[in-house]
Amino acid sequence: MALTKEQYKAFEDVVGAENISDDKAIMPAYYNTDFAAIILPGNTAEVQACVKLCNKFKRQFRPICTGWSGMFPKDLILLDLRRMNHIIEINEKNMYAVVEPYVISAELQAEVMKRGFNFCVKGAGTNCSAMLRGHGHLDQTTSGDDRNHLAIEWVTPEGEIVRSGALGSADEWFCGDGPGPSIRAILTSAVPPGVTPGVFTKAAVKLYHWPGPAAYPIQGHSPKYTLSEIPPNMMARYYSFPSVEKMWNAEIKLGENEICYELMGFNAAMVACNITTCNEEEEVVFAKMSKEVQGPGFFVIIGGNSRDDFEFKKKVLEQIVKENDGKSLKTVENPEIEGILLCQCTRISASIRETFRAGGAFNSIPIMGQRDLTIKWAIGAGKAKEPLIKKGLIVDDGGAFFGWGVEQGHLGKTEIFCKFDPQNAEAKKAVEDWQKEQSHRAFTERYFASTMGPQDEIGPALMNYNLWWNKIVHALDPNGVSPEGGALV
Amino acid sequence: MIEKEKLVKIAGTSNVSYDRAQLDEYARDISFVNAVRPECVVKPTSTEIVQQLIKLANETATPLVPVSSGPPHFRGDTVPSIGGAVIVDMSKMKKIINVDRARRVAMVEPGVTFGELIAAAEKEGIRLNLPLLPRKSKTVIGSLLEREPVIMPKYQWDISDPLACVEVIFGSGDEFRTGQAAGPGTVAEQWKVGGVQKAPYGPGVASWHRIIQGAQGTMGIVTWASMRCELIPKAEEPFVVGADNYTTLLELASWLVRLRMVNECFILNSTNLAAIFAKKWTKDYQALKDALPTWILFYNVAGYEYLPEERVSSFIKDITDITKRLGVEAVKAIGGISANEILKTVQQPSEEPYWKLRYKGGCEDILFLTINDKLEGQISTMFDTVKKSGYPSSDVGVYIQPIVQGTGVHCEFNLFYDPANASEVNRVKNLNNAAVKALLTNGAFFSRPYGENSKMIMNRDAATISVLNKLKKMFDPNNVMNPGKVCF
Amino acid sequence: MALEQYKGDMEMCCRCSACKFIPMQKIKGSEFSYACPSIARYNYHAYSAGGRMNIGAHALKNGMNYTPKLLDVVYNCQLCGACGVSCNYAMDMEVLEPITEFRMKCNEDGKTDTKLDKVIDGLKKTGSMVPVKGKRGDWATGLKIKDATKEKVDVLFHVGCLTSYDPAMQKLAKSIAAILQKAGVNFGIAGDAETCCGGRAYQMGYKDAFLAQAKKNMEMIKKAGVKTLVTGCADGYQAFKVLYDQFDLKGDLEVLHITEFIDRLIKAGKLKLNKKVNLNVTYHDPCRLGRLGEPWIHWSGKKIPGDRFVFDPPKEYRRGTKGIYQPPRDVLKSIPGVKLTEMTRIMDYSWCCGAGGGVTDSNPDFAVWTAQKRIEEAISTGAEALVTACPWCEKTLNEAIKASGSSLKVYDIVELVERAI
Repeated sequence: MALTKEQYKAFEDVVGAENISDDKAIMPAYYNTDFAAIILPGNTAEVQACVKLCNKFKRQFRPICTGWSGMFPKDLILLDLRRMNHIIEINEKNMYAVVEPYVISAELQAEVMKRGFNFCVKGAGTNCSAMLRGHGHLDQTTSGDDRNHLAIEWVTPEGEIVRSGALGSADEWFCGDGPGPSIRAILTSAVPPGVTPGVFTKAAVKLYHWPGPAAYPIQGHSPKYTLSEIPPNMMARYYSFPSVEKMWNAEIKLGENEICYELMGFNAAMVACNITTCNEEEEVVFAKMSKEVQGPGFFVIIGGNSRDDFEFKKKVLEQIVKENDGKSLKTVENPEIEGILLCQCTRISASIRETFRAGGAFNSIPIMGQRDLTIKWAIGAGKAKEPLIKKGLIVDDGGAFFGWGVEQGHLGKTEIFCKFDPQNAEAKKAVEDWQKEQSHRAFTERYFASTMGPQDEIGPALMNYNLWWNKIVHALDPNGVSPEGGALV
Repeated sequence: MIEKEKLVKIAGTSNVSYDRAQLDEYARDISFVNAVRPECVVKPTSTEIVQQLIKLANETATPLVPVSSGPPHFRGDTVPSIGGAVIVDMSKMKKIINVDRARRVAMVEPGVTFGELIAAAEKEGIRLNLPLLPRKSKTVIGSLLEREPVIMPKYQWDISDPLACVEVIFGSGDEFRTGQAAGPGTVAEQWKVGGVQKAPYGPGVASWHRIIQGAQGTMGIVTWASMRCELIPKAEEPFVVGADNYTTLLELASWLVRLRMVNECFILNSTNLAAIFAKKWTKDYQALKDALPTWILFYNVAGYEYLPEERVSSFIKDITDITKRLGVEAVKAIGGISANEILKTVQQPSEEPYWKLRYKGGCEDILFLTINDKLEGQISTMFDTVKKSGYPSSDVGVYIQPIVQGTGVHCEFNLFYDPANASEVNRVKNLNNAAVKALLTNGAFFSRPYGENSKMIMNRDAATISVLNKLKKMFDPNNVMNPGKVCF
Repeated sequence: MALEQYKGDMEMCCRCSACKFIPMQKIKGSEFSYACPSIARYNYHAYSAGGRMNIGAHALKNGMNYTPKLLDVVYNCQLCGACGVSCNYAMDMEVLEPITEFRMKCNEDGKTDTKLDKVIDGLKKTGSMVPVKGKRGDWATGLKIKDATKEKVDVLFHVGCLTSYDPAMQKLAKSIAAILQKAGVNFGIAGDAETCCGGRAYQMGYKDAFLAQAKKNMEMIKKAGVKTLVTGCADGYQAFKVLYDQFDLKGDLEVLHITEFIDRLIKAGKLKLNKKVNLNVTYHDPCRLGRLGEPWIHWSGKKIPGDRFVFDPPKEYRRGTKGIYQPPRDVLKSIPGVKLTEMTRIMDYSWCCGAGGGVTDSNPDFAVWTAQKRIEEAISTGAEALVTACPWCEKTLNEAIKASGSSLKVYDIVELVERAI
């Protein structure tokens, strides 16, 4: 239902005529649905005023950042947070940065690298909001999931401004927990289906020491950049192993000995995507690399705080790899390839090559938590991809999965996806079936339960978390104005 | 009120006590909260008993006050706020359920103390990131649920660390397992496929353990918890750095934590270090204090399985570059206390008597979180307030702990006093109140509000309280769980 | 090509937003990270390339839904191509082409901008994109420049509309003539026989008007027997070199931008830059000399059925890699006393001056807003002057300077070269 004139005027009073539109012609730019309106608030006060109006008029809203993903029912008011794009603070002494929703990771990362820091850029890519929750290539050093947020400024679905932790009590961003129980428990900017209702208008994220350069010495033109030199005390390698067991053993030893700046469990197909500039080249390079690797593997970046530190780490890396019969991929030892992988895999700037370039779509099963357990499951899920590859329905990546240790192997992440042409109905169905079957197998065999699965089955097996979450949402959003399904990407 | 027969039927005769003397032990603690005698004490021996107790409490509107550690208690959180309460003393649930070296995780019941877990974990080659010298009777779960700071900030990725998962019976009577422990399947089924209970987030997008932490038992009763553990190093090289001013030490600590070159790392003032290491009281204490610089930074460089000595020496070299730049010197001993002795001491719970009680028998802690830039002003504020109160400044113990990999600082003032001396008691009580007030206005964040000051602290953030109350209504709709605490 | 032919490309867009920013590796902080003026100014996703692609794909399925806002989106775009460079770092898909075709489709359906209609009417009447006063070749009076339609020349200097008619820009024509004369080049101009290249008409969506101009120009060129064309206008350069080729009109004509030609002359020892020009400068890459100046690639083929978006024969994409970036920089480096400091957004991911896509005519405020962003970036380098290589850039950047009150100077590179000879 369109906004009434009175409603439109009320929102327009908040954001100005230029920042509200109900013109249907521009809506497909966001999503294939009829939004009631697109509104572009410019600050927290405007978000709050809009949310209060949504309650007054009983209109549903969803916030978005870059607008990459999300599910948006008809007649929703879309709060496009694009104008909220400021880095509020970079606190070097206490290692955190405060951002608005439309600051993308590439911007924040460039700023903090100048100051000798890095942060958890999500694997989805550096083109996403810096305040996104998630996992990524840097997790070995920068952690992931819900563990990087500090204080958050949150406009609740009823339009109250809640400032979590130290922010609410002491006007400081360094801590998001307390006083007393932590409402950070429910402040999560994860992807659907369950996201906190309301709008996050600012968030503090943890920063981590960065042993690399203030900026990479990039040369050349897109799409083929190279580094003029490998930055001092840095090194990138790809190692393959004769078995999953040996790969896992090497991965956990590297974590326990705190050696790697990055340990990204790429498979050869993903390396090929990263280092090639088009689909055709990728197929050729993948075929070559498939012969070069001896089995599963991972990509490693070593970063030393000093020459001695670097040499020590290198020595331990080589010893652990040797003990587990690992083999370094010659392709990556080429300084040109090594350099660009160093850059791309720390700036997380080639995720699109890994996912969308081939066919335009991918369906994924990501699992966070215990790496050794999820690897066991992923082997089977990889085998189940093979018939689809044979039929030409999905891109041939050797049936591989990928993943990495988080927090030096304390936690982990494993993911497996199928890349396909979304215009091909048969491929789309086959991939969706694979996704359902493998998620179901994980559930019945007790590896994990994907919360993307059927809630009536998954919920009871996970302490009825869905019912609790629904209760929370209902308590926070009595007018039901903030439905799930949008994502702060 | 729950009938005695029912309690006995649920928990067994030997686990229910109405003995006045015993009840008096729970009626007060070292803090200044009002004494309120509970109705009785129940010591459950299983999760099922806890669940039945909570159900019964809901039926009869009986307040339940969960306790896991043994006395002496310090914060008032285990003293009932209202009459008619049943103390749920978890100390009999003492199983160390699991210690897993490969996954660096342990799982214990609420009654397990640090000393007990340290011994069990050490056998497997792992250890817990400890708070600074917990008292012998302190339980691991009690500490984890209070979000106590830990002495290895490098391994504290999140303020909830090292807590992993918990099993909790909410005030509503519902059982819930948080994080990876939630499922699918029972814990035993998870073990069977090689799963452990370690990832703290979920199920779903919420991080349920964060609601239980810091709640002082107001949301439910935890019946076991798992926690991440760290490897025991193959080589360790501890150091101390003394200074008259803590600002340089704090800067050094920040760099050490940022570069992740040290494990244990904290700053104490001479009052506290002397209180920990004085052997003969009180003569030794004063002499030790006099021999120490005002501020002492302790840190420990460690190496693991591969080339441990090489790692230690490379770190020491890098650290020396920093200490030279800052104009301080790292040494192996200070005021007659060796760095090795400090390391050995802080890797265990406190010897008896508890170090905070050795000097005068009583101690009141003022603890808060802050950022580096504000700390100096807050410490000045504290000492100004101390001066006005007449409390001897030199008796104020200070503990500065970098937290969460350097994103903040835990600051703790320890006010030692003689509990038998009414005037000292009054002075410390008034000082405590005045100091919290003054520190609050100077930006201190009291993330763990205890006792008398908790209202003053909580009132500063009405918006958060409003959300917390909504959560509380869901998890403990009848407010049977430790009513009167935090903001409930 | 019609919009339908880019259906697959438009459907490939995953809304990742890379098109809104310069290539991710090149982002140096929170400043100067945006690539697309349109989304930077108007904020709605529809104004980004991703938004335009998704609207295009939707229109192919559901029909065009013309509304004032849609037309606002369509015409408030400089078609500068920065979006395509950023997208094509990772993706194999056309970006600027479908956006251009969407505008063409609007034009075909009569959904034009009245201000642009007026410009095209003028073009049809006068052969110029700018108001005409006097004759095209008036600026050359007394300069002893050959008439290429009458005398045999090695090089035809195509002057362009703005440089020919705008009294403030005629200095560029004179500079170029002086440089070519100094180097002893046998060149000439077409004078009144020169007509608009049509490039800007194409950008505005008037394909027929463009083709008419292109045909007239090539007829004259063929008649004159010219083998090499040099121009100082980036729009003209892209029209002759790329668009004419795209429509199979260019033949064997060698098209050079004046910066390429001067670079050649310097490197061949035919032009000596001896005089000192003490100036700290930064260089603005005109879009149609840089990323859009790379050669057209003729291709036709079909998607190979299956999992990947690949074609038979394989399709090579124009990703901005082969634009003209180094020659102007080499020329600047050859001028004694000139110190070049680069801005953040340069070469293939340069920020547009605002003058492209007809925006100077349809929405001059937006053009100036865009130029102002560039001025801010230039000032951040500490440079005294912003050097460019296109009269349209110079004009728009100067307007922004005037509006903002900045003391920054704007020069065309030929002005500095002339000073140095």
